[in-house]
Amino acid sequence: MNDFPLLTAVTFLPLAGALGALALGKTPEACRRFSLIAALAHLAFTAWAMSRALPLTEDMAWIPALGARYTLEMDAVSAVLSLMTSFLTVIAVLVSWKEIQEKVGAYHALIFGVSTTALGVFLARDLLLFLVFWEAQLVPMFFIIGIWGHEDRRRAAFKFFLFSIAGGLFMLLAGIWLYLAHGGATGNYTFSLAALLASPVAPGAQVWLLAAFLLAFAIKTPIVPLHTWLPDAHTQAPTAGSLLLAGVLLKTGSYALARWAIPLFPQAFAEYWWVLAALGSGGLVYASWVAFAQTDAKRLVAYSSVGHMGLVVLGLAVWKTASLEGAVLLMVNHALTTGALFIMVGMLGERAGTREMAKFGGLWKTMPTFSGFFLLFAMASAGLPGLGNFVSEMLILLGSYQSAPVPAALAFAGLVLTLAYVLRLLQQMLFGESRTGNVYHDLTPRESLILAPLAACVVVLGVAPWSVLDLISIPLKALLA
Amino acid sequence: MKILAFLILAPPLFGGLTLALTGRNLPRRTCEVLASLTILASFFAAVTAWFTFPGGREVLSLARWFSAGPVTASMDVLLDPLALTMAVMVTFVSFIIHVHSIWYMRGEEGYVRFFCYLNLFVFSMLVIVLADNLLFLFLGWEGVGFCSYALIGHWYHEEFRGKAGQKAFILTRIGDVAFVAAMAVLVSTLGTLSIAQIDAQAISLSAGMALALSLLFLFAAAGKSAQLPLLVWLPDAMAGPTPVSALIHAATMVTAGVYLLMRLFPVVAVSPDAMLMVAMVGGLTAFMGCLAALGQRDIKRILAWSTISQVGYMLLALGAGDVTGSMFHLLCHAFFKSLLFLGAGCIIQVLHEEQDILNMGGFLRKARPEIFWLFLIGALDLASLPPTAGFFSKGRVLEAVLAQPGMAYQALFILAACGAVLTSFYTFRLVFLAFWGDPVKPMHHEPAQLPTGMARVLWPLAVLALGAGVINLPGTWDVSGWLARTLDGIPGVVQPPHGEQAGTAELIDLAAGFGGLALAWFFYAPKRRPDPEILVAREDGMLGVFRSGLGLDALYNAVFARPYRALSGILWKGVDAGLIDGAVMGCGRMFAYASELARPLATGRISLYLIMLAAGLAALLAALAAGIK
Repeated sequence: MNDFPLLTAVTFLPLAGALGALALGKTPEACRRFSLIAALAHLAFTAWAMSRALPLTEDMAWIPALGARYTLEMDAVSAVLSLMTSFLTVIAVLVSWKEIQEKVGAYHALIFGVSTTALGVFLARDLLLFLVFWEAQLVPMFFIIGIWGHEDRRRAAFKFFLFSIAGGLFMLLAGIWLYLAHGGATGNYTFSLAALLASPVAPGAQVWLLAAFLLAFAIKTPIVPLHTWLPDAHTQAPTAGSLLLAGVLLKTGSYALARWAIPLFPQAFAEYWWVLAALGSGGLVYASWVAFAQTDAKRLVAYSSVGHMGLVVLGLAVWKTASLEGAVLLMVNHALTTGALFIMVGMLGERAGTREMAKFGGLWKTMPTFSGFFLLFAMASAGLPGLGNFVSEMLILLGSYQSAPVPAALAFAGLVLTLAYVLRLLQQMLFGESRTGNVYHDLTPRESLILAPLAACVVVLGVAPWSVLDLISIPLKALLA
Repeated sequence: MKILAFLILAPPLFGGLTLALTGRNLPRRTCEVLASLTILASFFAAVTAWFTFPGGREVLSLARWFSAGPVTASMDVLLDPLALTMAVMVTFVSFIIHVHSIWYMRGEEGYVRFFCYLNLFVFSMLVIVLADNLLFLFLGWEGVGFCSYALIGHWYHEEFRGKAGQKAFILTRIGDVAFVAAMAVLVSTLGTLSIAQIDAQAISLSAGMALALSLLFLFAAAGKSAQLPLLVWLPDAMAGPTPVSALIHAATMVTAGVYLLMRLFPVVAVSPDAMLMVAMVGGLTAFMGCLAALGQRDIKRILAWSTISQVGYMLLALGAGDVTGSMFHLLCHAFFKSLLFLGAGCIIQVLHEEQDILNMGGFLRKARPEIFWLFLIGALDLASLPPTAGFFSKGRVLEAVLAQPGMAYQALFILAACGAVLTSFYTFRLVFLAFWGDPVKPMHHEPAQLPTGMARVLWPLAVLALGAGVINLPGTWDVSGWLARTLDGIPGVVQPPHGEQAGTAELIDLAAGFGGLALAWFFYAPKRRPDPEILVAREDGMLGVFRSGLGLDALYNAVFARPYRALSGILWKGVDAGLIDGAVMGCGRMFAYASELARPLATGRISLYLIMLAAGLAALLAALAAGIK
């Protein structure tokens, strides 16, 4: 512990950015520039930290009276998700350049707040520390939706808050129960993940504790039927809000499932994994079906997001090498493609003042660059091979069939349902004739600059997915063992 | 060999990507020439590979892809004479179609997009042809599906074309679900996705497992190859530009399903039930395709249904255990059907987008004799009249079915023979109506002048359509079997009992061809044709029943598509927004009422609630800390 606290820096550097952004709040342009530089610097820093020998750990006393420690660890899974978080933070700053004109300082500070709290969730290895980051997560997003959102923002923000806090409360109680039960049984009162893993509590108690943890994570992921806050939140959030919600916040839910809930309660999970698998693949089918009926493009993408997360949940529930690696990879791929689709729908919304699909059509003619990108991300989302999502989907589908044939078969059907709403989206937006006659200008250089790196990532992850799989397979093997 | 395999695959991919990224900044001629040259390069590489290939089967690894647990995907190719023959055919036909398209698409705006997708299509098709790993094959499999979708909807501003593309993509995706399921089963039984290994281990599969796998792959093939029960997308796919129909929806992509089953033939061969199923799907589709083709007035839709029907014959041969015969018919069909389609494209442009054969007639033959002769050669093939390639390949298919013992195969043989009569009948109906007599609705314009090259470039196809029969003359002729010898040694290729049934089959083939011709003469010869009104009434009345493809499309619409759409609305408004959201929010409200927290919550003062939460948390922790000490 003699060297530089790298992980603390990774986690809290965005807060420095937040302070800077607040200070520059009076001059919006300077604030944006500063935020961009800060986010880029943080991205570079995270990448540099990642390039060190993983896993990195930091551990020191925090609340000695409770046995709570300040423990951070970055293994490859945490590292990949952290990198994704700081990457999406950069993108979030860029997409807000024109959209956000009011209270610019506070807005950017909150964006950085989302980043820090999510990084904390990805890196924490002490239950109490984790819970603090977990609960703190909802604060910045609540304000982002509630202040900078669209017409019905207050209701959506309130709903988001209510759902999250409800889940969080049960988990908090379960966490304390776990702490007491574990302490009582071993005499060692601690929140340390490693210690809690080493001696699981009695199977009877595990079921209830798992249920409480699951509730929190299921709301965040979200797992059907606890997903109804998400379409509202997405529809009302500003573009960067949707991006961070889909790309970062949802991932904390599925990540926590794999890092905390499943390993902490192995017996209960072994007994009830099928519930999770059924909810996952059932949710995929259900959400894809509902997505097909949507008229608002952003809501459609939101439901597609629920569907994809259902597949992630299936991969986690099966808990085998292939399905688990696929699930983690899909978290990344989903963040990129769904994030990109949210951004693009947002760009269109900025131009047209509406996201109703019926108000578009024929964009291919007037906005060729936009349409090319849109087609790419939409096809990635539909699982076209050669693009990122395909690899993760195949790992999950082929990897779960043996142990969960029925949920897997249901998820196979998801391939068709996903394609159905994606094609409907494309047909309504890009093809046919313009239904209003309005002509919008094609992408600006700034907008192309936002989408190009996302597109590049989608292609690289489709063609050379081994580059990420090689990394994450090591910690995931340890997790499975 | 590795370099050659790479050189077959890489050029079209390079061409497609270059066009996608920079095409809009390149001069038109550069785009066109680049697209065509990449295919030519692939063709040369394929021919070189064909001549230098030592024989047997060889698996080569081109690149890493991904692997986790039992699932391994790598970009491996499996070279054998079957794959290389197919690759030569695909690149050759594609090259001709690319060159033809340069003229066909003259004056069109979206040429960059067109040639980009065309190149990507050829790349994907070659992946299907060469791939060893099923996931790699699936990359091509989905790739052709996507390109087909994009190209059917090429004229995207017209809604119905986009819809037709959508339909094609979704129906083939339904087949792909079975493909994925089959891969999942393979992963959990054999633990491999390599075709070479699957074929090698096929013997160890139980009959039940082999049947299950075969049926899954058959369903996947039915999607791509437009066979029962998934065939309804192909007639609509004619909304694309005609060269696209020729390349994708006649010569190459639709044969992908049959080709897949050839590659995996050892698996199918384990189960006699699976073989019979393959044969039955093929036989029924072949017959149904004939009936539907007979009812069409649109020249492209006739050809579309004829494709469905001819691919059915390929499956039938395969189900009768004759890989060579199936491949023989596949090759010959590729030549004559692309010829027919490209010829039809010329006709349509000459007649200013007229596609109804009742509005064509003798003036067309007199005005454009070259196109007429080209089309006639293709028609003779389709009708299986000697000495065309189509005659010999159809004969080989009939021979294979005839050679199989059992009632079921005998019934299929009768079906196939009747189908052959009908095929010849609808083909000459088309020829007589399109090239002889007077049109029902006379043209107001002069026939358009086409660039000379557009028809000229089709002659190589015509020569092959006439002469390709020599690659596998029937056994009785004794100079036989070049293709059979080439394919010998590929797992699953069994030569049927030599020539015993060949004579009978060829005779029936001959009789069917001329029988159909005579029927068509009886009904449609210029002098025997009734007045236009009666003719139209007859075509629309009696034969119109077949036009809709025997109502299958309407059935699917009523049973699947419409309920799916309607239920999606109910699920959203009723279940999601109503039931689930209502229940969850109701729960929340109940808790809120039940507690003192109700008021600040209801007024939405979250900040207060946050402070209370933090305070509560702090108090709880303090109490805990105190308790533990």
